[in-house]
Amino acid sequence: MAVFLQSVLSGILIGGVYALTGIGLTLIFGVMRVINFAQGELVMVGMYCTFWLFVLLGIDPFLSVVLTMPALFLLGALLQRTLINRVLDALPQNQILLTIGIGLVLSNTAMLVFTSDYRILSTSYSSSSVALGVIRLSKPLLFCFLITAVITAALYWFLVKTDTGHAIRATAQDRDAAQLMGVNVRYMGVLAFGLGSALAGAAGALVAPIYYIYPQVGGAFTLKAFVVVVLGGMGSIIGATLGGILVGMSESLAASYIAADMKDLCVYVIFLLVLLLKPSGLLGKSRM
Amino acid sequence: MRTLLPWAIAAVVLALIPLWVQSPYALHIFILLFIAIALGESWNVIGGFAGQYSVGHAAWYGLGAYGAFILLQRKAIAPWFGVWVAVAAAVIIALVVGWITFRLRGPYFVLASIAVAEIIRLAALNWKELTNGAEGILAADAPPLRLGGTVITDWNSKTPFFYMGLAMALFCIAVNFLVKRSKLGYYLQAIREDQDAAHSLGIPLTLSKNTALAISAACTALAGSFAAFYVGFIEPQGVFGIEVSIQMVLTCIIGGIGTVAGPVIGAVVVVLLSEALRASLSSAHLLVYGVLVIIVILTMPDGFVGFIGQRLRRKAAPT
Amino acid sequence: MTALLEVRNVSRFFGGVKANLDVSFSVEQGIVLGLIGPNGAGKTTLFNCITGFYPPSRGEIFFEGQRINGFPPDKVCRLGMARTWQKVRPLAKLTVLDNTVVGALCHTNSVPEAKEIALEQLRVVGLEKRAGVLAGGLPIGERKKLELARVMATKPRMILLDEVMGGLNARESEEIIGLILDVKKRGLTQVVIEHDMKAIVRTCDRIVVLNSGEKLAEGSPQQVVNDPRVMAAYLGDSGGAKA
Repeated sequence: MAVFLQSVLSGILIGGVYALTGIGLTLIFGVMRVINFAQGELVMVGMYCTFWLFVLLGIDPFLSVVLTMPALFLLGALLQRTLINRVLDALPQNQILLTIGIGLVLSNTAMLVFTSDYRILSTSYSSSSVALGVIRLSKPLLFCFLITAVITAALYWFLVKTDTGHAIRATAQDRDAAQLMGVNVRYMGVLAFGLGSALAGAAGALVAPIYYIYPQVGGAFTLKAFVVVVLGGMGSIIGATLGGILVGMSESLAASYIAADMKDLCVYVIFLLVLLLKPSGLLGKSRM
Repeated sequence: MRTLLPWAIAAVVLALIPLWVQSPYALHIFILLFIAIALGESWNVIGGFAGQYSVGHAAWYGLGAYGAFILLQRKAIAPWFGVWVAVAAAVIIALVVGWITFRLRGPYFVLASIAVAEIIRLAALNWKELTNGAEGILAADAPPLRLGGTVITDWNSKTPFFYMGLAMALFCIAVNFLVKRSKLGYYLQAIREDQDAAHSLGIPLTLSKNTALAISAACTALAGSFAAFYVGFIEPQGVFGIEVSIQMVLTCIIGGIGTVAGPVIGAVVVVLLSEALRASLSSAHLLVYGVLVIIVILTMPDGFVGFIGQRLRRKAAPT
Repeated sequence: MTALLEVRNVSRFFGGVKANLDVSFSVEQGIVLGLIGPNGAGKTTLFNCITGFYPPSRGEIFFEGQRINGFPPDKVCRLGMARTWQKVRPLAKLTVLDNTVVGALCHTNSVPEAKEIALEQLRVVGLEKRAGVLAGGLPIGERKKLELARVMATKPRMILLDEVMGGLNARESEEIIGLILDVKKRGLTQVVIEHDMKAIVRTCDRIVVLNSGEKLAEGSPQQVVNDPRVMAAYLGDSGGAKA
């Protein structure tokens, strides 16, 4: 029973990060109908930024989030303005290939610059944990989840309470109508991609103390982000949040009860099952 | 048939090359080229004609490779028999996957194809009794090829691989050619252009897509088996990894999706660039792939062949 | 004589929306039936049900005496009933000829034979000189003709034309009317959705009027055109005014 609870709780904690990545993906899709296959690579960039900020300047990873997020926002905005913007009217398959290309460039540039050596970011509290009765929760994981919750809440507040947030949601619902209402939809696209990238960067920063850091780590994050989004319904932020937690839990339970190296396989199998049985997501909200 | 003439000439010229060129490195480049051509043409059937962008074709490549290798290692079945068994296995699995994934459209299909390839890769990685896991399998020497009582080759030089590779590439090109002109080819292109309109014109969607996938998977598995024997060693990441899938897609995108000549051009570009940069960038030649994809998508999404075709049409069109 | 097409109490719901409610009519061999009604009356939805795009929520559809509820669109086409689209759907990257060949391949496995059939149909609609042009580059009038040729190439016994004159000028509409009458002479049965009342009156033997998903009236062109309920439906009494 303790094992079960332990797995579920760890799963929820890491699920928050998956949710962040998924929310970024779903935001980009919602506003521009572009499926960003480079989302995982943006997480990777966030991880490396955090690593070097820690190693060179000694900034704690959970604090450097405030630096990593704006940096990734700028990267995302740049990518949107220079590349993504040009394929908004292209075939969806071509859009996908473009983002795959961007992902390849990001991961292989990292490999050239940083080599494919695995890096580890260990802080003073990397192996310490907090006890909750019989269960021990890893401190980094706990901080990770708490900050994720803060960021998600902030994002939600932004989208629901601010004018710009409304403009973004309007563009996501109906691009033409929003434009007719005076929304600068091109700027919304830049904003959405920037925000999506910032969220990915945040995920990378939060996960840097927990996972190995290497250039190819993005691929798995991209796929997991997709599982999250498909579970929750493409375009739904609440869905992505719940989806993330579900993916985290499934992964954790699979690792505990089946085998540690089968956890990825289980997630992908769940992915295929959801795609087949309920492609509009468990919550049923989607714009396929 | 006038359109066949350039191909026939090229085939004859290529067949004569080993007589003039002795350098093992040059022959090696040709062999890589033939493999890339075969893979590009295979992907073209499902991605170019039918418009179903699978980014998980490494699944069939790897199944071909592992299938033939395992049969040789465990059952001492000669490659030229083992290959067909591996191809058959790949086709059967492909049909199951097709039945599952073809109901998905567009990006969802792409995602599913990636997930399937990943699942198969992880299975190969973890099923150590069968595949040796991450350590991979080293090929035992292929037995000498005999016809009647005489030994044709004992596979000790590059030349026999050159001819096998050339034959395989020509075979895949021929398959493309035949499919394009057949009823299936018309049906696939209709599905690509407008699936619902195609459906209403009497086209059986599932049957057509699955036929294309079977053909594509078979050719891909064939190339995978051949490549495995040529290299002599396989492991999960190398044959099931997403880089393999991406290279296949890239070959077609650069050259021109949906054309017969496109993948050939794309293969030449991809292989030559890879080799040219291997010295300086080593495994980061994928970086070049990424840049190439971006450039091609932004400037000529129909590939070289499409680009040239547009230019010719503009010249021929009345003002 | 049994009708070629029989629609019995067909209803189609989308969630809470009643797109079609209890619609019934039959189409005898060889006639041209007009299906009219204001925008949103459910005409295209009915076509989609009949041709298998989605099954009717209730009711039955019979073609040549066979119940075809739930048959997929390709099976319906092979049985001999083909349809055109309200918003034209050319296979853009294929040539005019290849578009038509796709249709012709419905009943033959030989590509050369299909090309013969296709060329013949292109000649009928007057597009044979444009055979090598990419369909995506055609103006709207030619796209409509291509769609007609493509559908005729499937050797149907019945065709369903969805606003085949939509967006055409007077001359182009004349040509289409001529083609419809020509098709009728060749013995095919047609159901035509149209807004152009003059064309309807000239081509149709009988008319069915839909309004808000239900059948409002049925009869000869004269009867329907003079029916006050029909005029009210079109002119705004029930809010279904057409520009």
